[in-house]
Parts: sequence; structure tokens; C-alpha cells
Amino acid sequence: MKKFLNEAVDFVDEMLDGIYLAHPQLTFVNDDKRCMVVVQRKSGKVGIATGGGSGHLPLFLGYVGKGMLDGAAVGGVFQSPSAEQMNKVTKAIDQGAGVLYIYGNYSGDLINFDMAAELSDLDGIAVKQVVGNDDVASSVVGEERKRRGVAGIFFVFKAAGAAAAEGLSLDEVTRVADKARARTRTMGVALSSCVVPEIGRATFSIGEDEMEIGMGIHGEPGISRKALAKADKVVDEMMDRIFAEQSLGQGDEVAVLVNGLGGTAKEELYILFRRVSQLLTERGATAKHVWVGEYATSMEMAGASISILHLDEELDRLIAAPADTPFFSHCKV
Amino acid sequence: MDAITSSDLVALFAAWRETFAEQRDFLIALDGKVGDSDLGITMAKAFAAAAEAVAAAAVGTPIGKILITAGVAMAKAAPSSMGTLTATGFMRGGKALEGDSAMGVREVAVFWRAYGSGIAERGKAKVGDKTILDVIDPVATTLEGAAETRDTLRAALSAAASVAEQALENTKNMVAQHGKAAAFQEKSVGHQDAGATVGMLMIRAMRDFAAAPSSADGLLAADETAPAAGDSTASVFGSIDRSPVLAISTRVPSSSGVR
Repeated sequence: MKKFLNEAVDFVDEMLDGIYLAHPQLTFVNDDKRCMVVVQRKSGKVGIATGGGSGHLPLFLGYVGKGMLDGAAVGGVFQSPSAEQMNKVTKAIDQGAGVLYIYGNYSGDLINFDMAAELSDLDGIAVKQVVGNDDVASSVVGEERKRRGVAGIFFVFKAAGAAAAEGLSLDEVTRVADKARARTRTMGVALSSCVVPEIGRATFSIGEDEMEIGMGIHGEPGISRKALAKADKVVDEMMDRIFAEQSLGQGDEVAVLVNGLGGTAKEELYILFRRVSQLLTERGATAKHVWVGEYATSMEMAGASISILHLDEELDRLIAAPADTPFFSHCKV
Repeated sequence: MDAITSSDLVALFAAWRETFAEQRDFLIALDGKVGDSDLGITMAKAFAAAAEAVAAAAVGTPIGKILITAGVAMAKAAPSSMGTLTATGFMRGGKALEGDSAMGVREVAVFWRAYGSGIAERGKAKVGDKTILDVIDPVATTLEGAAETRDTLRAALSAAASVAEQALENTKNMVAQHGKAAAFQEKSVGHQDAGATVGMLMIRAMRDFAAAPSSADGLLAADETAPAAGDSTASVFGSIDRSPVLAISTRVPSSSGVR
């Protein structure tokens, strides 16, 4: 392991100290740094909360801010936050219009968020949930409910956050979030392992010349492991699986997220986007919104994921809306 | 004891707290074989918090509300997945008994059925997945049968505890589908499930609690209807078989005079 650390056990809390010092627009509740909320809350607005394990920055905390999320609870590296922590965040951000939870499809998160919703209901707060499951590689068509949530949840945050900022009701914000979820697909490929600080060694081993198609963002096994191919070939294989589930043709518009997993240079990500763009053009589809960079990482894992959101008029408007968080800002032009 | 009243329920949580404090290290060792060893800690914390919360509830609080209070306290004190699922069971069991004033055989059956359904729904688990459900489901079925045939609470819980012990033994042959144990898949075969062990311990403590002499029951001895702990499966449970049945029964009478 080669990381900037004081003590491995302090990894999450010292990271949080740094974030609060750097970004005074964020604070925490319940005397618990892992319960992050925005300082300025708008009366009557639907609250949006997320959460999950640490180790994925800018996911989840990075999207707490204007036009995106109102709060997030995080656990240890790759560990779910507790129902109690989520309930405290929920109480803090509820402005009378209810709260929407958006999180990824992992058993620990499901159990704890669902309990948090029940605890919040006892507190008289209406809570709805949208569970991200964009990872095409983690289960077959027809079994989408078993799929993991990965980088594509960024689009769900963006659309729901903009809808809440527009003043839509909890039911409407939930509808929009669920539509963005249903229209997003992601494929990932890993080139090297992540290292969990308190474990101190690679989660899995992979050869210098190998790649694993479809690996999860905690190192869950993917679809196939083989020799690392040329970048264009890798993108072709990833996009084949996405196109198989999204009928994109002449005139269709999409949002594209080419996401680095933590240990891959941005230059390489643009080489990947180049090919994504070519493939979309071949089909007559347009990449209307494009983000290339690190949006959902897995510690120092080398690799990338490609997420495609098939836009409609409403999602186009919401994805284009302005947002400003410590890790993400988007200006309307 | 013919029925568990709200004041009995407070004493039952104290008994459960005692059980899981005593079984803490055993559960840690059991969970360590295929899990992450935190189950014993989680359960000891969960039942300690629940016992404290229900003891603080006003006298005469309805049983449904007491069970929900216990569940909420557990959810806050024991944030691991198993802690949250155990909390879910109590909250759903409490909701199912809203409006009831005591737990006779029918209500105990309703409680465990709702407990199991809550865990199944939230944990996305089903019978056969090598979880606590593999104990709770047959227990609920046994109690439902006992309610049909109008068995006494003692006889019903005695039968339920025997079924729980056998059901736990049966988990040895199952392959784990959930939690960290699922990563071990076939390697989990041969080990009794740690979560199912928690279920068995809960039922057994409930049986011992109901079997304890109380003023309402006259002079029946505690162990007249309760089989010897372990019996046919004695070798399976290791340290569990040393659970202090007598210690539990000596605590009970203090509360049973209240009704």
C-alpha cells in the first residue's frame, strides 16, 4: 500500500475534516461528521439525500450543494452508513416537502436506507427512494433489479436535484429521478485493484497486461478477464453492451459520462471519449452533454466507466440546469 | 404464564439482554468462521439498548408500542445489517400487534410471522437462503398450528423452541446467499448459520421465560413442559447449551404479579 495516511483507522474522518475546512458551505448534524448537510436550506423544497461507503469521491459527499443534493451520510470505506445516520440527515434537510433518497443497489445500503425511511416515517417525514442500478455488467436483461449502482447515479442526482430546485413536489422529483435511472446504462473496465486502507493490500490481483470487463466499484468480479486491448476495441466492447439495451438512432440525444475510477489519467479518458463520440455519430445520435473526469471512483483503481443517459426533453432541461457543489459545478450557457 | 402482558414484555427483553450478553463471545466465534465476527457485538448492543428503552416506557404502554420502541432502539444502537434486520423484525411485529393488550399463542404467532416477513422483505431473503428466516419461518408455522389447536402458551413455545433447534441444525446443509457469508458459498456448508442461531436463541429464551413459574400460573414447575436444553442436538450448540435457564426464571416473578 502506498497512500498519504496518518493512521489507516482515521482515513475517513480526516478526509471529512479536510472537506469541511475547505468547503464552509457544508456542515454536519448530530455531532457526526459522517452526516453531511448543506448550510443553506430552502423552505418548501424537496430534500434529496444520498449515502454509501467512503472511498468513491466525489461520490457521494461531492454532490451535496446547490442544484444537486441536500445531504449525505457516509460509512467507512466501502461500508454502508447506518439507518440512524441517514435518519438524522433526513430530519435536518426536510423542509416540509419530504425527502428523496437516491443510492446504489447494494444490500447493506438497501437495508439501512429502507430502515431510515421507516424511522423517518415515524418522525412524520415523507420519504421516497430511487435505487440506482445502471451497471449493465452485473446482471442480465430481465434481472435489472439485481444490478449494482455505479457512476450513472450522477445523472440521477443531477436530474432530481434540478427538479427539486425548480420546486417540483416529492412525487414529481421521484418520477424524474426514476426516469433518469431507467434511461441510464453504464459499463466499466478495471486495469488494477483498489486498496482499502485498513486492509492495506490489493482487493484483487490482476496481471500487468490484463483488464477485467464489468468489474464493480468495490472490486466485485466482472464478466471477463482478458489481455488489455487497444483503447478503441475496449470502448467498442463496452458500448456494444450499452447499445444492446438502448435503442439509439438518428436524432436521439444523450448525456455521456466518461468516468475515471481513480488511477487513470484524464488523457486516457479523452481517448475513450473520442471513440464513444465516433460510435454515437455512426448511429446518428448526438452527445448533447458530456462530462469526462472522475465522478465515482474506487480509491486508486485504474480503469474507467462509460455511462449513457438517453435524454428526452424533460431530462435534457434538468441535466442542463445550473448546479454548484464543492466537487461539481455546471453553469447554464 | 398464559399470556405475555406489557409488563412481562419488559422482563422478557431483560431476559433477551441477558441471553445475548452471555452468548456474545460464542456468536463472535461462530460468525468469524464465514462472516466478519461482529454479530455477537451487534446483538449484545441491540438487546441492551432495547431492554433499556422498553424499561423506560410508561407502565401500561401497549405491547405493540413496546415492540416498536425496542426495534427503534435497536436500529439506532446496532447499525450493522443484522442489527437493522433484527430491529425491523421487532418493528413489524409490533405493528402487527397494534391494539392487542397481551400476547397469547395467537399473538405470539402473529408476532413471529410479521417478524419473519419484515426481515424477508427488507433483507430480500427467502426461506432456504441460510439466514435467520430458516428458523423464524418454521417457528411461526408451529405457533400458528398451536393457535389452531388451542395449545397453552407454554406448550406452544416449547414446541416452537424444539422446532427452532432442529431448524438451526438444518441450516448446516444450506449454502449462504446473503451477507459476507455468501462470499464463502460452498465453504459455508457444514456451519450452522450465525443469524439463524440468533433466532433460535431468541425463541429458546422466550420459551424459558414463559415456562418460568408466575403467580398467575399457580404452582406448575418451570421445566414441566420445557424439554431439556439441547437434547437431541446437544453437540451442535457448544456453549449455547450452557445458557442459564434457571437464571432467567428467577428474574421473572418480579414482573408477573403486575397484571
